[in-house]
Amino acid sequence: MGRYFLRRLLQAIPVLFGTTFLIYVLVWQLPGDPFVGRCGDRVCPEAFVNAMNEQFRLDEPLLIQYGHYIANLLQGDLGLTYNMTPVSDLVVQAAPITLRLALVALAFEVVIGVIAGVIAGLRRNSFFDNLVFVSTLLALSIPTFVLGRFLQWLLGVRWGIITPSVSGDATWGELIVPGIVIATTTTAILARLARTTIAENLRADYVRTAIAKGMPPRRVIGVHLLRNSLIPIVTLIGLDLGTLMVGAVVTEGIFNINGLGGLVYDHVLRLDSTVVVPVATLFVLIYIFANLIVDLIYGVLDPRIRYE
Amino acid sequence: MTLQNGDSGDYSGPLLEVEHLEVEFHTRAGIVKAVNDVSFTVDSRETLAVLGESGSGKSVTAQTIMGILDMPPAVITGGAVRFRGTDLLTLSEPQRRAIRGQGISIIFQDALSALNPVFSVGWQIAEMFRVHRGMSRKDARKRAIELMERVHIPAAAQRVDDFPHQFSGGMRQRIMIAMAIALDPDVLIADEPTTALDVTVQAQIMELLGEIQRDSGMGMILITHDLGVVADIADRTTVMYAGRVMEQAGVFETYQAPAHPYTKGLLDSIPRLDQKGGVLHTITGTPPDLLDTPSGCVFHPRCRFRKDDCLTQAPPLYEVGEGRTSACHYYPEVLDDAGR
Amino acid sequence: MSEQLAHSSAGTGERPRGLWDDAWDELKRRPIFWISAFLIVLFILMAAFPGLFTRIDPNAADLSRSMESPSSKHWFGLDRQGRDVFARTIHGARASIIVGLAATLVTTLVGGLLGLLAAYLGGWADTLISRLGEILLGLPFVLGAIIILATFAGAQSGAGPVLIITLVVGTLTLLSWPLVARIARSAVYAVKQADYVQAARALGASPFRIMFRHLLPNALAPVIVYGSLMVATFISAEATLSFLGVGLRPPVVSWGVAISEAGSYIRQAFFLTAFPTAFLCITVLAFVMLGDAVRDALDPKLR
Repeated sequence: MGRYFLRRLLQAIPVLFGTTFLIYVLVWQLPGDPFVGRCGDRVCPEAFVNAMNEQFRLDEPLLIQYGHYIANLLQGDLGLTYNMTPVSDLVVQAAPITLRLALVALAFEVVIGVIAGVIAGLRRNSFFDNLVFVSTLLALSIPTFVLGRFLQWLLGVRWGIITPSVSGDATWGELIVPGIVIATTTTAILARLARTTIAENLRADYVRTAIAKGMPPRRVIGVHLLRNSLIPIVTLIGLDLGTLMVGAVVTEGIFNINGLGGLVYDHVLRLDSTVVVPVATLFVLIYIFANLIVDLIYGVLDPRIRYE
Repeated sequence: MTLQNGDSGDYSGPLLEVEHLEVEFHTRAGIVKAVNDVSFTVDSRETLAVLGESGSGKSVTAQTIMGILDMPPAVITGGAVRFRGTDLLTLSEPQRRAIRGQGISIIFQDALSALNPVFSVGWQIAEMFRVHRGMSRKDARKRAIELMERVHIPAAAQRVDDFPHQFSGGMRQRIMIAMAIALDPDVLIADEPTTALDVTVQAQIMELLGEIQRDSGMGMILITHDLGVVADIADRTTVMYAGRVMEQAGVFETYQAPAHPYTKGLLDSIPRLDQKGGVLHTITGTPPDLLDTPSGCVFHPRCRFRKDDCLTQAPPLYEVGEGRTSACHYYPEVLDDAGR
Repeated sequence: MSEQLAHSSAGTGERPRGLWDDAWDELKRRPIFWISAFLIVLFILMAAFPGLFTRIDPNAADLSRSMESPSSKHWFGLDRQGRDVFARTIHGARASIIVGLAATLVTTLVGGLLGLLAAYLGGWADTLISRLGEILLGLPFVLGAIIILATFAGAQSGAGPVLIITLVVGTLTLLSWPLVARIARSAVYAVKQADYVQAARALGASPFRIMFRHLLPNALAPVIVYGSLMVATFISAEATLSFLGVGLRPPVVSWGVAISEAGSYIRQAFFLTAFPTAFLCITVLAFVMLGDAVRDALDPKLR
């Protein structure tokens, strides 16, 4: 068990370095002046250029620069915006709101997606199964930004049930609709995966054994079947955190939420990569760590992996 | 629930009785008669070997007895399965559930896929005691270790928390057996219990099954396609072909003087150590297409005793001798044949 | 039981019926396949020959008629700059379809080839390709695209349509090939050890023959299933990136661009957003349905 965890941890390290290096090269090392087009439509202020040069040692060899960049990152220093605000300050303000939004979305996808998928898988070809199929088809066909815009217009403008713009506090109640918007795609994928997995495992030999052991149906499904089906479901939830974060960028932008995603959205529109890149890098780091945690949970859920 | 008690008073008939069982599969390609008018009985302290090739309907029969047949596509169209006189096919699902594991147990061919991969073997054995007997986690675990020792798993106390994939094939089958006998069932069905195993391990598992059966006095149905493995532990045999019973006899008689050409063919195709240099016979032809079974006697296309009426008239089960039947119009010729 | 039946009925044809024959039979009888095929053909026609659907120039602007509502002359109304929304929606199909198909094609080819090489060569080639793939997969798809495109965004002001589309396709491909490679690699690994491949090797077949004759056909099925769903993902991703302002942009005419431009006018002129949005969603829907149908047909497990 311990060895498995250690191995996964060691495997994550090259990915971590590789990915950050990639982003670093993209941002600072492409041919040409790294400050052209970095500050939106205007020319970067002198003070900003000097500060960034100082912090990132842009005149040193590539690997040394990258070392500084990583060292800065580890110290929580994400650089400056071009009006000299530390990006980390913006992040500290925005992070709790995004976390709350992510939890709303996660709760929605797990509850709705998994339950709908499990029921559909248990009752294949029933009316409910077909309903789930059609709903997931629609959910997968509507891009997040379209759904966000549509619900904002319908619920916010037309019917006035919600405020089209979320307030600065971003209370739980205000985040329900944006959370659902973010979760929709993953909910659909999750429901489909849960359905397939349940339907497949339903025919597994060990399910037949459990029935032959005289176990009541609730136990056959609730313990034997579900416990096995959980493995791919948990994996998907972890892997789809990426979707969650992109959803956060789009949805926070649309609903004017002051979270991390909103930060990216605002500055992407202004073509200001001083904020976009560090925050996106942060997202990437969260993503890699989340994947690592999923791997570890996977090891707990599936003993076959652990002892390989 | 009187059904599950071993001593339910005045009932004196056979322990388990399968009567004129008929099972069909409704597939896209058509209706398949997987089990066709199959009857047999098993008593306590008795081992019945059900012999036949794959597709002969023996596993479907076993699953029907257990009530674990996938319905649909399977449909039970006739017959009865009486356990201590009660027809199981008429019982409600909760009533049948009470019999599974306590009255009748089953072990499957492939223990690796039959065991749940994500639970420890001890947990899976202990589950029997926890669910059926309401034992505490700790007591059930203790019983699980005892059972693992009972089926001769070395260092049972250390291995109780290991997972199925950490055991060898033979050990896994022992765990299956431990689980099946946990609640002292009256009947144990072993569905090809050694097919997936090495020859040496096969013998050990058979020995273990024989030992357990002798000690507990339960009735056992041993389903196999391999005549070699049953000779030592079976009392009687039922030979099946294309969903039908071909011959029923004591195991000694089956081996000495088969009364059906198919049984004879099966026996002739076993290599024998005591007859060197002879020709090893095979049964010519291919197993029947169950969607399109031959007319008359289903075995006629492959039969060397075939006469014209075999093509048109399906043979009934002729009474051949004391407790012996054969579904062959010409069984006297088969009995007399000195082909070996 | 039913497996044996399948075998006996499958053995009756002239030549052995393969996976593809079965898949096609299965596909043919699904209405969802025909609906999606019809829609996709329609959209591809729209992309290739927009003149078949409209004669109005999508760039002809009449500012005096800005945001005029739909009428019999201008079915979908006029946009902010007085351009015909119907014409722009029809012409927008081209960019979306090109991005979707081109990115899928390149991703499948590059990913499939690299996966094949990784599995076949093994050793350091496998390590290199797999590690590189892991690093790229460390970037969440659209988020990675935002980083890359935002980096290039400033440098390409005044770029032409071809360069803009190439950049978007290249970015999408760069971030997605590892998934295809991974699928292809594991599919090849599964058959590499199969007896028939070992036999071919023992008979002295050259590595290239083994790769193209034996391994490729087996890796193909899972790659195709994934590829058909990929088109939908890419079209949706392109629209999202364009909406965010880092994907396609004027002078390219695309649905994403149109939705982005309609932006804040949703209250005054709903039709500006509604029509390109509907086309976008129906296109994505068509490809998702096609992917579903193909996957179900190729994967008989749950039939």
